[in-house]
Amino acid sequence: MNVRSQVAMVFHLDKCIGCHTCSIACKNIWTDRKGTEYMWWNNVETKPGCGYPAKWEDQEKFSGGWEMPDGRLRLKSTGKGRIVFNIFHNPHMPSMDDYYEPWTYDYQHLFNAPEGEDQPTAVPISMVTGELINIESGPNWDDDLSGSPVYAENDPNLAGLSEEQRRQLVAIERLVFFYFPRICNHCLNPACVASCPSGALYKRGEDGIVLLDQKRCRAWRACIAACPYKKVFFNWFTGKSEKCILCFPRVETGQAPACFHSCVGRIRYLGVLLYDAERVEAAARSSQEDLIEAHRSLILDPNDPEVMAQARANGIHDSVIESARKSPVYKFVKVWKMALPPHIEFRTLPMLFYVPPMAPVMAVKEGDAVDHVSGELFHDIDESRVPMKFLANLLGGGHEAKVRYALRKQKAVRWYRRAVTVGDVDMPTAERMLREADSSIEEAEAIYRLTSLCTFEDRFVIPPAHREQAIEMLQDPMERKESAGFGFLSGPTRGL
Amino acid sequence: MKTAGGTHAQRRTDPCRVPGAVFAVLLTAASASGQEAADFFRQNCISCHTIGGGRLTGPDLKDVGKRKDRAWHLRFLQNPQAMIDSGDPYVLQLQQQARGQVMPTITGMNTARAEALLGLIEAESKLEKSQFVGLQITDRPFTAEDYAEGKSLFVGAKRLAKAGPACISCHTLKDLGGLGGGRLGPDLSRVFERMEGRRNLGAWLMAPVTPTMQPIFKQHPLQPEEILPLLAVFEETAKQGSDDVSVALLNFFFLGLGGMVIGLVSIDALWKGRFRAVRRPLLMESATRSGR
Repeated sequence: MNVRSQVAMVFHLDKCIGCHTCSIACKNIWTDRKGTEYMWWNNVETKPGCGYPAKWEDQEKFSGGWEMPDGRLRLKSTGKGRIVFNIFHNPHMPSMDDYYEPWTYDYQHLFNAPEGEDQPTAVPISMVTGELINIESGPNWDDDLSGSPVYAENDPNLAGLSEEQRRQLVAIERLVFFYFPRICNHCLNPACVASCPSGALYKRGEDGIVLLDQKRCRAWRACIAACPYKKVFFNWFTGKSEKCILCFPRVETGQAPACFHSCVGRIRYLGVLLYDAERVEAAARSSQEDLIEAHRSLILDPNDPEVMAQARANGIHDSVIESARKSPVYKFVKVWKMALPPHIEFRTLPMLFYVPPMAPVMAVKEGDAVDHVSGELFHDIDESRVPMKFLANLLGGGHEAKVRYALRKQKAVRWYRRAVTVGDVDMPTAERMLREADSSIEEAEAIYRLTSLCTFEDRFVIPPAHREQAIEMLQDPMERKESAGFGFLSGPTRGL
Repeated sequence: MKTAGGTHAQRRTDPCRVPGAVFAVLLTAASASGQEAADFFRQNCISCHTIGGGRLTGPDLKDVGKRKDRAWHLRFLQNPQAMIDSGDPYVLQLQQQARGQVMPTITGMNTARAEALLGLIEAESKLEKSQFVGLQITDRPFTAEDYAEGKSLFVGAKRLAKAGPACISCHTLKDLGGLGGGRLGPDLSRVFERMEGRRNLGAWLMAPVTPTMQPIFKQHPLQPEEILPLLAVFEETAKQGSDDVSVALLNFFFLGLGGMVIGLVSIDALWKGRFRAVRRPLLMESATRSGR
């Protein structure tokens, strides 16, 4: 056992209202610089939809993540030999068009336009070329556009759905969508780190945040192709790649990352997980069926005395272990098993987990009246408007059981709370449902509290950074203290 | 005090030494200049001139000192073109005799060299048979063997005795086959006519004086037994008359162009999937579907 700690995340999709506040918070802090206009380290997608960049989930197109052709893990996009043939042209990268061409408006025209018959307008201008552009797509072009024949119909997660199910998804009165906010997953087995020929990407030892050294980046852009979530971006101005840094300057000072902090729906949770670094590769190599369980088994119980002893032996501070014991992420992922990794089949072992969303009840139109299929208030999970297979493709590695388990638990908690607060559902039925959902009244209370009544401190259990200890891995802290000053500002520039 | 005394003593001895040193230097220079002048003559002059061997491209230099005075020769040697420009009647007459050829300005020529060369010519003119009488090439008709030998020397199938580069590296000939020879030097198909026969051309090959060839063949000169077969080749080629060489050049150009096009097309075909637009094809696909 080789115990390490990682700051991990849970997004509760059932609470996301798709307001994009997180994206704006991130944009304002990190990607409002020249060359980063098109980047959204945090973005919110509508599902079913193609997302950003378009069809990022389709690895036939983008060749991200890992594959196991002969039982050994291999990057899908590149390799020591294969990189030679693509050294001047990497064919797997999204184009500017697949993201979108960023634009602004010619606001000056509103003030400077000559007097005329009509009101002056501010025409759109490309932020890359400065020319007038015809806006054809945006970072969230298919927002709320479920049922669109272009974007929603081409969602890669629709694979395996029957023609009937696909038709139902876009039928009037049955249209359904939910939101899918995305940031870097800070994976345990990151493909971007593995792919970098310059060694610019690394996973930080003390908290598992995946970072990109701007001084070492040599613009090979292998990471952009390798990341199956397309969360590494290329800054066309500095000639360096960039990615979500989980607001590490904020995390180190005990603050939640900006997107977490600003979340209106309070869907985001952050906390430490202790995991076994020794078994990471074995877990990433396990069969498709076992991937979710193997991934989950890497996460260790922070209350287990042996785990605590091993963690201490590995230099993890007591305060971090203490923080891990209070981690909301541990509860959602490991104890309640309600949070699932997105697209585990990419085998990068993401450390951002999603609680699958409850979808509205299916309805049918008879004459002028709209009738619900299920008479029950909280309908049967499998009658949901979102086919289980769709959620399973997104969050269950293709297996419906894991998603069904998470959804049934959510539903049981709702029944239980309905019995407590409203009383129009009888308690014995609620208790039976809890039992069927592999839960209990105590657990339901805890889930309810962490879902609905969660305070700032409940949602974000940020471990003390202990920079003074973390730096010991690389440098003598006393030497650092003596030699480090304000330094010189040297931003990243193109070239070596 | 010691230092000052030392310096004084040294200064005093210096004047005594100087004449001796100068004398020694002059002696070496004099004996060296004889040898150097001969080498210089061999490298720069024998391709056009002989001493007592008859006219090549330039006149026979035997007793050249008797034709004009020394000062005139010194001026001419250092800048032949200037003399022509000045309209000197004798120089113009020489130019006419050489059918318009002008003696090039020789690199490294200066007054001392010119003096040495004139001295050398004067000395050699007095001899019964000068060492610069020139290559004596037989007048016998060339045989088929000569031609075959020359061809293999030209294309480099047979190495040159002094390891010089084969002619084909820089020159081409008519009917060479394939893509022809190099294009750095001139086409040699009609060189036999240009140089007016085997004697001139043979002499020229003894010591090529162009800026490109001289540095190479100075170290690796052609041997007389190699020059003869080469002359056979040049004569034979010139006899056949020459076609328009631009056809060969054009062929070469089109072959290159065609090769490039075929290469690009095959790369394009082999690597079809290199541009993988994703979003736009979705739109186009949807447009075709709704159009149908």
